Amino acid sequence: MFASSWFILLFPLAGFIFLSWYGNRISKILVGAIGCGVVGASFLTSLVALSNLLFLPAEERVGKVQVLYQWISSADFKLDLAILVDPLSVFMFLIVTGVGFVIHIYSIGYMHDDPEYARFFSYLNLFIFSMLVLVAAADFFFLIVGWALVGLASYLLIGFYKEKTSAVLAARKAFVMNVIGDVGMVIAAFVIFESFGTLNFIEVFAAAPGTFRVNDDQILLITLLLLVGAFAKSAQLPLHTWLPDAMEGPTPVSALIHAATMVTAGVYLVARCHVLYELAPFTMYLIATVGVLTAVFAGTMGMFQYDIKRVIAYSTMSQLGYMFLAMGIGVYSLGMFHLMTHAFFKALLFLAAGSVIHAMDGEQDIRKMGGLRRVMPLTHGTFLIGALALAGFPLTSGYFSKEAIILSSYHEDMGNFIFWVIALITAGMTAFYIFRVYFSTFIGETRSPDAHPHESPKTMVLPLIILAIFALGGGLLSPLVDGFLAPVFGREVHHFHDGLLETIALIAGIGGIATAVLVYQISKDRIELMKEAFAPLYDLVFHKYYIDEIYDFLIVNPTKAIGAFMEEKAEKQGIDFAVDEVGFQVKEVSRGISFWQTGRIRTYALNMVAGMVIILLFVVFL
Amino acid sequence: MLSLIIFIPLLTAIALIFVGRDNTGLIKMAGVGAATSTLLVSLWLLFAFDVNNPGMQFVQTLHWVPALHINYLVGIDGISLWMVVLTAFLGVVSILMSLNQKKDLRNFIALMLALEAGTLGVFLALDTILFYVFWELMLVPTYFIIGLWGEGRRVYATMKFVIYTLVGSLLMLVAILTLTMVHYGATHEVTFDLRILTHTHIDTFTQIWMFLFFFVAFAIKVPVFPLHSWLPHAYVACPIPALILLTGAMSKTGAYGFLRFCLPLFPEAIESMALVIGFMAASGMVYGAWIALAQKDIKALVAYSSISHLGFIVLGIFAQNGEGIEGSVLQMFNHGIIASSLFLIVGFIEFRMGTRNLGELRGLSKSMPVLYGVFMLVMLAALGLPGLNGFVGEFLILMGVWTSHLLAGLASILVLMGGLSIVFASVYMLYMFQGSMQEKPTVENNSDISSSEFKLLLPACILIILIGLYPKPIIDRVSPSVESLLHLEKTVNLETGKDTDHH
Repeated sequence: MFASSWFILLFPLAGFIFLSWYGNRISKILVGAIGCGVVGASFLTSLVALSNLLFLPAEERVGKVQVLYQWISSADFKLDLAILVDPLSVFMFLIVTGVGFVIHIYSIGYMHDDPEYARFFSYLNLFIFSMLVLVAAADFFFLIVGWALVGLASYLLIGFYKEKTSAVLAARKAFVMNVIGDVGMVIAAFVIFESFGTLNFIEVFAAAPGTFRVNDDQILLITLLLLVGAFAKSAQLPLHTWLPDAMEGPTPVSALIHAATMVTAGVYLVARCHVLYELAPFTMYLIATVGVLTAVFAGTMGMFQYDIKRVIAYSTMSQLGYMFLAMGIGVYSLGMFHLMTHAFFKALLFLAAGSVIHAMDGEQDIRKMGGLRRVMPLTHGTFLIGALALAGFPLTSGYFSKEAIILSSYHEDMGNFIFWVIALITAGMTAFYIFRVYFSTFIGETRSPDAHPHESPKTMVLPLIILAIFALGGGLLSPLVDGFLAPVFGREVHHFHDGLLETIALIAGIGGIATAVLVYQISKDRIELMKEAFAPLYDLVFHKYYIDEIYDFLIVNPTKAIGAFMEEKAEKQGIDFAVDEVGFQVKEVSRGISFWQTGRIRTYALNMVAGMVIILLFVVFL
Repeated sequence: MLSLIIFIPLLTAIALIFVGRDNTGLIKMAGVGAATSTLLVSLWLLFAFDVNNPGMQFVQTLHWVPALHINYLVGIDGISLWMVVLTAFLGVVSILMSLNQKKDLRNFIALMLALEAGTLGVFLALDTILFYVFWELMLVPTYFIIGLWGEGRRVYATMKFVIYTLVGSLLMLVAILTLTMVHYGATHEVTFDLRILTHTHIDTFTQIWMFLFFFVAFAIKVPVFPLHSWLPHAYVACPIPALILLTGAMSKTGAYGFLRFCLPLFPEAIESMALVIGFMAASGMVYGAWIALAQKDIKALVAYSSISHLGFIVLGIFAQNGEGIEGSVLQMFNHGIIASSLFLIVGFIEFRMGTRNLGELRGLSKSMPVLYGVFMLVMLAALGLPGLNGFVGEFLILMGVWTSHLLAGLASILVLMGGLSIVFASVYMLYMFQGSMQEKPTVENNSDISSSEFKLLLPACILIILIGLYPKPIIDRVSPSVESLLHLEKTVNLETGKDTDHH
């Protein structure tokens, strides 16, 4: 029944292989059609899988594993190449392929003039394929494979403009950060194998409650190591530094990384392994704490950036913080729901920002924009919807998902007042910074008179409209998502109703927007004045708390220095020298004793006689 | 059949001496023909090989020195099978690559074939003396190839290599002779048959020093840190075709020696020393990777990355369990493919750009899109990207280490060191790849790799993906032999006289 689900993975893979092989030899229209078509086909196949699942009674929907063949059998380690089709993976399939498809369509217009059009689409297909492997995997090994392939695809796309030095460096940074996460996951897999003798999800999760007591060392180790991977992929503190730099890629890539794929992987991982995490309340608490800290931390950084994509990028980090908060306090389906709505409105924001950048001929600085509302009405309208959803404005999708998490962070057993306060502050900041971008981009007078912005082509605007509809109305899906995911998480999530807290959260969101309006209204020199007053703080935040510099100072530079030092001292002057010295000394010694070899028969005869005498003495006296 | 594998290249090498130097057509044909037919025979072996038989197959015995019971004895099991296939495969690649050799083509091809024959002999020999002979046979062609066709400080490099290796192999000879004497002491039979000798019980003290003698010989060949200092000199000086065999096949003879000699012969010595050796290997992994970070010359960079990857292989072997050893055998095969491809790529780049210095190479991807794609795939396999072949081996090895009883005391540290070297690998590989292929091109270049050069890399690329997708066929052939290796019983007992089961 679910064998057809293999095609969900195979379509994008085929697209990737075909386009990287023949992409340059076929027309652009065909490239675009194939690139989008395979993802579309994959989306339709996901819908088939969804309907198949829905036909089953709820309790039978979990644990549908499709085995293709036995992949390896080495001593005790046996593994099948298999995918797991259950509500959680199908949910992810739909988001990845659905939002991915829209982004693909958008790319047709956005990348139209790029000479490496085909390469771009082949990478996009690879990205979708990798993400699907990640969410389809039925065991930890292929999870890691998907995990790493996503890292690879992001590396390729971030570094797409491969002649640009900053893009090359950003790509390397993303890759290495992700490898660090991968190593954590690999070691986690070892511990899991050691404890359970298998890497298969279903077997591990079935055995886990019987194997471990709550907060056993081993289960803490597993969950923490998995978390290294999750945090690296989802750009949580302290492994987040690659995400802002990932803006170096073309804008659709940012949309893909931030919305449909990649960064959601960490959230998915915690959701998938929730059985393990529930055995480790300590780790849960850590997840919630890191999540909420990342949320507020990224929020502050978002407030002072001038690059339109950068602001949205920090908002991603911040929203991911919310998702992790939800995971940490155990409301998994709320987290997954926020993941979904976030995919809609964040893809929308990025694509709308892309449309702006496209119109401004590559300009990304919001100080040089303004007044675009008139020339780009559709982009303006959709961006506004995205911004409202991100800010959690009532009745938008973001309102339903974020509000629920904020409320749960207070009311759930694992939640507490501090989580709630920080989440609230972040909500206010989010509303502020996104509307700061909105006002300076679309409202007022234009600040670069030379530019001639224009509305983007249909292929770019249509995706915006589709996403806007979902960003606006996605909230209606909330009960459906809860019910659909309940079999995986073993319970329906509890929706709290607390008029007071809800009102406060509402005020925070709207207050943020209002502040943005106010700041926008006051004159420019007042802003400068404020900036001067807060100069040190501003500096700190603007430079991302100098975390990049701190890493350079503490890790990167010492590593390089030690490498160079070892090359010089240990390798050349140490080991190599020592070996040569041994050889040299042997030669010296031989030269020393070579005086025996005089070449005169007389000496040799003398030596021989002396030797014989000694031997004789030995024989006689011993 | 097995003798064909050894003697086709060896006899062709000898026959080439009687061919005129200028008869390049015939020389090339002979070289390619010999290498190809060796590969075909080895592929036939692959099909004829009985997957479920853990013992030696296709065994062939000829009396060689009857007075001393030294025999020409060859055979193959799951472990050597893949090494033979690998060597034969690399033999073809390296011969094809050496066809461009301008200087004294005849002797070069002859020496290359001799080197291939020696390496194949090492993997096939079951008689300890025969093993030793082939072991030394590898050395002679290498000496001349580096010394005569090499670059830079070639004489220094080749002298260093030969003396280093000779020290090791002489120690090994002493141990080989002692081994037979110990067996003689127990049974009053002289034999050099490794299959019999592995059942001999040796007392712990003797085990330890004999083990050390063997260990030094093999460790130098691999090389294991800190006995590696010949490698950078030799690799940098070595011409690319020979380097393919050197890094791809010859470095595996050391690891193979551990598996064939050290593990079955000296279990108690291993038990007491595994931790130290594991730590040495892991240090080598980190050390090699770290030094690679500081390299500007891409040939040297790949050379140091080899030291790092070979550390993995040795570590897996001394984990002493199924996953570790099978991972190591797989990784030996993988490394053979990956490292040789990397050196090929280095050769192609140097041939076109006239330099290997990362400071001077920039943005080659623009003019070389095909090489860019291939290089990327190989580089990703080298840094152990999950989904490609390199990762399967590394994963199995580290898993073996994690669950190993012998390494239990240090397991987590060793695995962390492995993790560190994987992270470093991603840094230096990207540094090399991006440094040479990406950013704005500085020099106006020229041409992409030709289709014949692409064909040299293509089989490796296919294997990289195929093994990543489906490693089972390889592991399935290795497993039974590894199992029997791990459960070997010592039936010939000198100490007590009360021999266990059969005497």
